[in-house]
Amino acid sequence: MDEYQAEEETAFVVEEVSKIIKESVEAAIGGNAYQHSRVNQWSTSVVEQCLSQLSKLGKPFKYIVTCIITQKNGAGLQTASTCFWDNSSDGSCAVRWENKSMYCIVNVFGLAL
Amino acid sequence: MSDLLKDKSQRREKRAGKLPSEGSHGVRGKETTGKTKDSISTVSYIDELAHHDDNPRMAVTMENTYQMGPYKRIPIPAVTDILKDVLTSYLQEEEYEGEWSQKMTKTISEVIRARVKDLMIPRYKIVVLVHIGQLTGQSMQISSRCLWDAANDTFASYSFKNSSLFGVATVYAVYFE
Repeated sequence: MDEYQAEEETAFVVEEVSKIIKESVEAAIGGNAYQHSRVNQWSTSVVEQCLSQLSKLGKPFKYIVTCIITQKNGAGLQTASTCFWDNSSDGSCAVRWENKSMYCIVNVFGLAL
Repeated sequence: MSDLLKDKSQRREKRAGKLPSEGSHGVRGKETTGKTKDSISTVSYIDELAHHDDNPRMAVTMENTYQMGPYKRIPIPAVTDILKDVLTSYLQEEEYEGEWSQKMTKTISEVIRARVKDLMIPRYKIVVLVHIGQLTGQSMQISSRCLWDAANDTFASYSFKNSSLFGVATVYAVYFE
């Protein structure tokens, strides 16, 4: 029983993380249209907000958060990632968000300590 | 709109002792969509088949190694060279094409991971991220932040461009305490 609880607290919970990501993205770029001059600041704020919310979870994890913001103009984009880690303790989550003028992809990798 | 979404597909491959991960086969993806006003968000993650079948991770007590830090650090110039080498050799003279790019991103990330592992730096976990996109005059920003131990953990990245496509590869190396 104790071990189960220990696992609950130290596992990478995708639902929780994805909720955090969605909230951060909405808060940072919610109803905005793509603007080249502001995109730098937007991606920084998305990522930093995600990171600060993740650290508030208080889990023994190191986090890597990546954000891609692209203008919508019909171009194709492929993203792949591969990781060399411990499958039972580490995890990742990707969230794709879009509005009328841009796409935003956020990737979170959590590596257990 | 759904065509564009299909173009922006994301694959993830994890090394597992039992499971020979093979790209899009044998991988169960889980997606949930939510809508708010004029934006749509989709969540996807690969549910590794062997993941939850394992016994709940027993609280493993390891013996003290009395090791304060890594004995050998990741040589960033060497990793950047690997990235440059792999991206250039795979993408030089290529045209962007949907299907081909999907396979290429997976292949490139696997190759990079294998070569970084060959550097034989113990106790480091590796995360490799590869983006290949079409150049059509659109604007894009890729950024990342990490919550880690800045003294031991590091990253390297390289971007490549030719007349029709661009490729960005990033490697994060995280020390396993």
